[in-house]
Amino acid sequence: MADDGADEGAQDLAAENAALGLALEAAHAAVWGYGVVGAALEPGARGAAGSAEAAHRDVRDRVITLLAERSVEPAPAEGAYALPFPVLSAVDAATLAVVLEDGTATAWVRVLDQAAGSGTRELALEALSGAEVRAVGWRTAAGQTPVTRALPGLPPG
Amino acid sequence: MSSLPPPGPRGFSRRTLLATSAAGLALLAAGCTSSRTEQRERVTGEQADQLLGQVGVQETLVAAYTAAGAADPGLAGEVAELAAQAGEQLARLRAAAPGATPSAVSPGSPPSPGEARSWLRAQVAAAATSHATACVNQSGARAALLGSISAGLRGQDGRLA
Repeated sequence: MADDGADEGAQDLAAENAALGLALEAAHAAVWGYGVVGAALEPGARGAAGSAEAAHRDVRDRVITLLAERSVEPAPAEGAYALPFPVLSAVDAATLAVVLEDGTATAWVRVLDQAAGSGTRELALEALSGAEVRAVGWRTAAGQTPVTRALPGLPPG
Repeated sequence: MSSLPPPGPRGFSRRTLLATSAAGLALLAAGCTSSRTEQRERVTGEQADQLLGQVGVQETLVAAYTAAGAADPGLAGEVAELAAQAGEQLARLRAAAPGATPSAVSPGSPPSPGEARSWLRAQVAAAATSHATACVNQSGARAALLGSISAGLRGQDGRLA
């Protein structure tokens, strides 16, 4: 029984770590992607992109630290990522930012689904909420409607 | 801002920005059938009661949108989409909470038409905080749902600001 419990605990933590690994990869992509977003914006409009990039860097670093504490090798960032569409204007940049935030939201909802501990859920919740709040601003800038989502990160019911 | 390498074919990953997230999305959509997943989805009596409580929180928020709209008809049109999303969130919560039945709730009334927006925003923020607190105590799909709803309401809060 004790061994069964230990096995289940290890499996739970492995699943949580795997989900955190996916969230880390999404954070890496967001940090890189916000460089593209900022480069496509006028200098005076780059503040939001810089703040968002900083937020993703912070989350990235927290996940790396958490995984390292568990002796899990964190996935490194790719050298670059394929863009889903050309980013040639401010609207393109805002649309890419929405893609980045929606992508991280999906990854963090996955962490919530897989998390074994409340501390990880708190981290996921903070990251998910931040992503959606930023996404609302970018959807507005991109001219998308609606600008809010009922269930960010979740697949349609 | 430092210049960045353009996306290109040589030496660049073909990984799309969201490939990893899409994998998680598919798993969430399809669900899993492993025993470990079943264990994660097993709900304790306390968790079930808490989830029912969150249905009540969301019902109160939906009623708050109606009350705010009645107090300020101009606001009603402006927040119609947000109100619809609150209703969608309620439907998903009810589906996730066995035994949840619609109930009549009252959030009270906005103090005045001029204050309807700030009153509604406070209601949205309170519901978001309540769902977030509950999310931390849940697990599996229930935690994911409550976290998503909380995040969605944080977005609404920002929209109402």
